[in-house]
Amino acid sequence: MRTIRYISICCIWILTLLTTGCSTFVENNKIEEIAPVVFWALRQGENGKIKISTIAPPLIKEQKRLLSLEVDLLKLGSKDFNFKYYRELKNGQIRLLMIDEELAKQGIHSLINTLSLDPEISPRLYLVVTKGNVEDYITRQLEKQEDLDFFIYRLFKHYEANNEGVITVVNLHEFIKKLYLPYASPIMPAFKASKEDFIYEGTAFFQNDRLKAIAKAKDEQVFQLFNHQHYAKLLSIPELSVGIGHVRSKINWSIQPDRSSSKLVVDLYGSIEEYRGDKDIMNPVEVAQLNKDIQTILEDQTRELLTKMQQWKVDPLQVGNRTLKPFARPVSKQQWFKDWEHMKIDVAYRIHLLPLSNLKT
Amino acid sequence: LKALSLFEKTSTYGSIYIMFIVNRLQILYFMLIMPTYLVQPYMIWGIIAIGILSHLNLVLLFKWLGSERSAKGFEGFVELFGSKWIRFFAFLGLIPIGMKIIVITIGYAEMVQKFIFPSMDLKVLLGLVVALSAYVASQGMEKTIRFVTIVFFMAAWIILIFIPVLYLPTAFPYDLFPLIPTDGADSMWKKLLFLWSSLSGPEYLICLTPWLDLKRKERVFASIANAISVLEYLFLFVISLLFFGAANLKEVRFPVLQIARYFQFPISERIDVILISMQMFNFIFAIAIFLLCFYGAVRIGTGRHQKKKPSTRFGLLILYLTIFTVMLIVVKLMWTDVFRQHVLISVQIWLGAFTYLVIPSLLLIANRRKGIA
Repeated sequence: MRTIRYISICCIWILTLLTTGCSTFVENNKIEEIAPVVFWALRQGENGKIKISTIAPPLIKEQKRLLSLEVDLLKLGSKDFNFKYYRELKNGQIRLLMIDEELAKQGIHSLINTLSLDPEISPRLYLVVTKGNVEDYITRQLEKQEDLDFFIYRLFKHYEANNEGVITVVNLHEFIKKLYLPYASPIMPAFKASKEDFIYEGTAFFQNDRLKAIAKAKDEQVFQLFNHQHYAKLLSIPELSVGIGHVRSKINWSIQPDRSSSKLVVDLYGSIEEYRGDKDIMNPVEVAQLNKDIQTILEDQTRELLTKMQQWKVDPLQVGNRTLKPFARPVSKQQWFKDWEHMKIDVAYRIHLLPLSNLKT
Repeated sequence: LKALSLFEKTSTYGSIYIMFIVNRLQILYFMLIMPTYLVQPYMIWGIIAIGILSHLNLVLLFKWLGSERSAKGFEGFVELFGSKWIRFFAFLGLIPIGMKIIVITIGYAEMVQKFIFPSMDLKVLLGLVVALSAYVASQGMEKTIRFVTIVFFMAAWIILIFIPVLYLPTAFPYDLFPLIPTDGADSMWKKLLFLWSSLSGPEYLICLTPWLDLKRKERVFASIANAISVLEYLFLFVISLLFFGAANLKEVRFPVLQIARYFQFPISERIDVILISMQMFNFIFAIAIFLLCFYGAVRIGTGRHQKKKPSTRFGLLILYLTIFTVMLIVVKLMWTDVFRQHVLISVQIWLGAFTYLVIPSLLLIANRRKGIA
């Protein structure tokens, strides 16, 4: 009697399930038959379209090639690739998104939104701004370096791990967080692609979701010093033929309550690692002079970068955060950026360097 | 064949069980969506305040649970309200219990669908969750209560996963400022109500009195459990604020799980998958307890309990199927985002808050009026 009961119950259950018309799995993820792409490179196409490129197949010993498509929607791209290629492309393992400079200047809010809503795409997706023709570079490079996409991904992974302050690394989550924060401007690393090379150029500053400018060379160096954990591996000052290594900075930035002026004091700790100038750095007097020169140059460079940021109306260092207090009303985003533009900034450096020792020049 | 009884009682469970049960019933679906509802950093004070209120409420609840009338179990209730009223209350109780089952089951199944099997049909997942908790419940009340130990140790460590957020380079303490309401705070009461409702759950201990050893001193364990829950809420809320920032937080649907998804631990890149699966213990346990309460309430309501008719697994199964069918209808007809946000969860917020507020004081007042038995 009991068995009959159980069987009948099971039947009822199964029937209930069937009447709702459900099928369990609809996606085929058999690893031999799919191609999980590692990156997408996006650029502005014609008539407001987006041109998407990727390498397929990734990480399989098979002839690799560059696939490109022009589409209206990002999602459509990942679908249309399948009409072009014999494996199904999957986005679950996508790690890197390269956005062309021109496209980034148009604003990428909708793009970022699409990516963040996709349950398959990890918030750890690295974002990069590229200049020049990435497709050309990839096509040429594929002959020499097969797993190119994977190695570019490893590059970011490596520098992200400890925030070494060598290059800027930004992922989707960080970008979105800064996009929403009241006093912050999102940033991305900028790379320049030519036929032979793919070179890190600097940090791209965004005003809301639009690319505003790219900080290069000196600006980039100072920015690295201020960003992240205030550490830079090497600070080179070619004007004085000096290289300072393992630089740590301690930043004290006091902003007047009315936000009209502020004072920035930077304590810089490091050691002279290379010197090719004509001063005798075993001589304390001349070392003091060198320190003074370094200080002046760094102050100038910092002032220059901050002035540029003010002109561009961006705040990638999140200076506005320093106006926040636990029990006070915060200023609005518009107000802050208005004040930031006209804020007078007094920059002062205090240099604490360990000199080169045991060496006679 | 041995006649089985779901509500059989061979021994009573004391202190540590009460602690686990209270804690696990407070940490359910609402904890996972809590940051999206609270959003503003000043709600940190809200969590603490509601935690204290919840503690006071537990004191009231345990005054009843420790009383002699409560120790009599069902007869105590009959003495208190009379058998007609008790049947009415049992029927009334079906609404909040049923609602709670539906909301947490659908909520959990939806989470599984979103994070683990995006291409799978929600109804299949629902069926699996219901089937699992039905299995646990069919083992009887006693085994379900003992199951809570496994549940606690399987799910309690999850909170530790979130510690690395404190060390993220993007997490600044500035994200927690300002700590005072600055935007008029007109929806403050809604957020507080939500918190109160999420801490509800311990009031169902009144259904479990025969199996629990409820002396006066056991109140301490319930208070400890409540304190642990409040700390967990506080911790997760602070973590979510640090991770997303207040401005972004209200756009995120399952903030806690999104954070877990962000970590790429060397052992498993998708730690959220493991986390959701472990969380299943918690949900299965709660659903099983509520299913048994539901069945018990139906038996009392229809008078089968009073006539000493035996409880059967068959009866339990029929109930599951009914509840499951209701869930399918809810999902099929009305489960849109708007509906979820504005109707189902709102109703659950009000019902949970109502039961948690009313049950202890109602019982105490009734007990006072009847005088010490």
